[in-house]
Amino acid sequence: MTKISVTGPKKYLNDVIDELHSLEVLDIEAYDGELETGEPFEEAEDLSQLLVDIRSLESKLPEVDVEEEDLELEEIENNVTEISDKIDRLTGKKERLERNISGLNDERKFFKRITGTGLTYDDLQGSKNLEVFIGVVDEEVLEEKASGSFDIVEGKSASVVIFEKDSDVEQALMDAQERSFELPEGDYSGTPEEIVSNAQTKKSEYRNEIETVEAQLEELAVEWRGKLETAEKYLTERIEKAEAPLNFGTTDNTFIIEGWIPSDSYATFEERVAEVTEGKVYIQQEEGENPPVEHDNTRFVKPFESFTDLMSVPKYNEIDPSIVLMLTFPLFFGFMIGDAGYGLTSLAVFYGGMKMFQKASAMFKSLMYASVATFLFGLAFGDAFGYVIFGHHSELAAVTGIHLFEQIPILWHRAEHLGQVFTISALIGLVHVNLGYLIGMYNEYVRHDFRHAFLEKGSWLMLEAAAILWFLEGTAVGAPVMVIALATLWAGEGVEGIVEIPSLLSNILSYLRIFGVSVAAVSLAAVVNSMANPLLTSGSVIGLAAGIGLLIFGHVFNTFIKIMEGFLQGIRLHYVEMFGKFYEGGGRKYAPFGAEGST
Amino acid sequence: MAVSGLTAIGAGLAIGISALATAWAQAKIGSAGVGALAEDDSLFGSVLILTALPETIVIFGLVVSLVVTGFI
Repeated sequence: MTKISVTGPKKYLNDVIDELHSLEVLDIEAYDGELETGEPFEEAEDLSQLLVDIRSLESKLPEVDVEEEDLELEEIENNVTEISDKIDRLTGKKERLERNISGLNDERKFFKRITGTGLTYDDLQGSKNLEVFIGVVDEEVLEEKASGSFDIVEGKSASVVIFEKDSDVEQALMDAQERSFELPEGDYSGTPEEIVSNAQTKKSEYRNEIETVEAQLEELAVEWRGKLETAEKYLTERIEKAEAPLNFGTTDNTFIIEGWIPSDSYATFEERVAEVTEGKVYIQQEEGENPPVEHDNTRFVKPFESFTDLMSVPKYNEIDPSIVLMLTFPLFFGFMIGDAGYGLTSLAVFYGGMKMFQKASAMFKSLMYASVATFLFGLAFGDAFGYVIFGHHSELAAVTGIHLFEQIPILWHRAEHLGQVFTISALIGLVHVNLGYLIGMYNEYVRHDFRHAFLEKGSWLMLEAAAILWFLEGTAVGAPVMVIALATLWAGEGVEGIVEIPSLLSNILSYLRIFGVSVAAVSLAAVVNSMANPLLTSGSVIGLAAGIGLLIFGHVFNTFIKIMEGFLQGIRLHYVEMFGKFYEGGGRKYAPFGAEGST
Repeated sequence: MAVSGLTAIGAGLAIGISALATAWAQAKIGSAGVGALAEDDSLFGSVLILTALPETIVIFGLVVSLVVTGFI
């Protein structure tokens, strides 16, 4: 990265901004000097307002498939209010209709209860001398308590009680009622059956009206959505340009832009900018601190950059740990899960994820590496979905009768040699943590000099060597080396280094989680298989079907559990145990003006 | 390996209690971390690391239980 400044007369400001936007190489740094910062172009405010309107329209219109259309900004500008009114009217109507329908539903529910009573709405309203109660009533209690006369008519799920006003029936009803319903007021007539069927007809009328409204909205969407989307894109760009001067320094007649460009595009940049301004601007290389960072990795390592950035963007002058992630993360994941079957199923899951979530596609791509590693380790261990497929006690050979499977050599069978997995996990830890120290040494060497590198990171390596010597050769050899190691550590990192010593042990022990997850991976698969086995061998069709169902469910479930375990534990070993040894991060990501997502 | 009596109980306690301790610590860190993320989602990396730290406790528990059962 090279820091540059572009200085020129204001009349070229527009041209320069346009050119910078289309070049997409300059990461503009906000001007921080004695001059005043620039004002956004006058149009910015109006354009922003229009953009807000357009976005709100887009959110109100239903989704339809549209193609991008030619830009007709003026047409949109003139019609924005009209379209917006139209949409509001239509959505308002739709809401009203929906409210009506829910009202009708309540009505219908009420009158349905008293169908079969034969009473009309007029009867239910009562009269000068008669009162009507609608609800669920315990008839025995009512008869016992009421001395006045009353009539009870039973409907479908509620009864209607008609009694004389001012009699004691009303009091008795208080005790006898289990539920009571209020008669809805409104313009009704006829028997409950008639009212219910009326409501039904009205409801379907409203439904039809809603459909018409929806069709009208859709029509609007077909007409306008494409145009709006084109306009939105165009306006976003225009506003980005119009607001760019906020980051520039200006005087009455000149402007200055500061920013970073990749060193190898400097020549083209200079040439292109000079061309549009007829050589009237002055481009100069500047001294600057804290340049933005762009990953520079081969195609294979690229997907892992997202994992690095998830933690923190690397600093300008340190090793990009993406390559380490690419080398060891799939190995960890694969070793932990180590099952050819789950390798394939997780590959399918990640592939689906990559297609479905475009934004996280890089992450899923890197996880696919991990799936491949899982598949390969599965072959090496002779495991697929917890069944032994290769090796001298191959279950696959027993089932199919093909003895070739028994001939295929395997590394070792995990379930029987967990002790070895344990040792290997610890060794992996030792190697991985030390790899971290070595990278740290290199980073220190680049930043400072070899002395720093040796004191700060090399001292840890010496400390480990001392511990091993002490163990193998005895105190006479180990102790002096240990003293030297401690002294260099003290010199390199001070008292913090000494305090940190126990964490070295806990970091290496932390890799035992590889062993832990391996055990869980082997047993989880075995549990599913042993649950399904009695069903599969039961001989009945139902048993067979249930067994197969259980196998499918269990292994799908396991696939997701294992993805989660393998991913979290694998990535955490890198982030916490390894990156802690060398990675600082905290860089600023290179976001050139004009490129997508730069604002 | 046959493990019996107090050895088995000891191994179970070692991993069980340390797992509880991890869970308790992670619950506290996790909820605070999510709060921090709501404010500023660029902290994701640090929050993940802080949340993952207490897992060491249960690994120690695992080691202890493996030692008492004679696995290592």
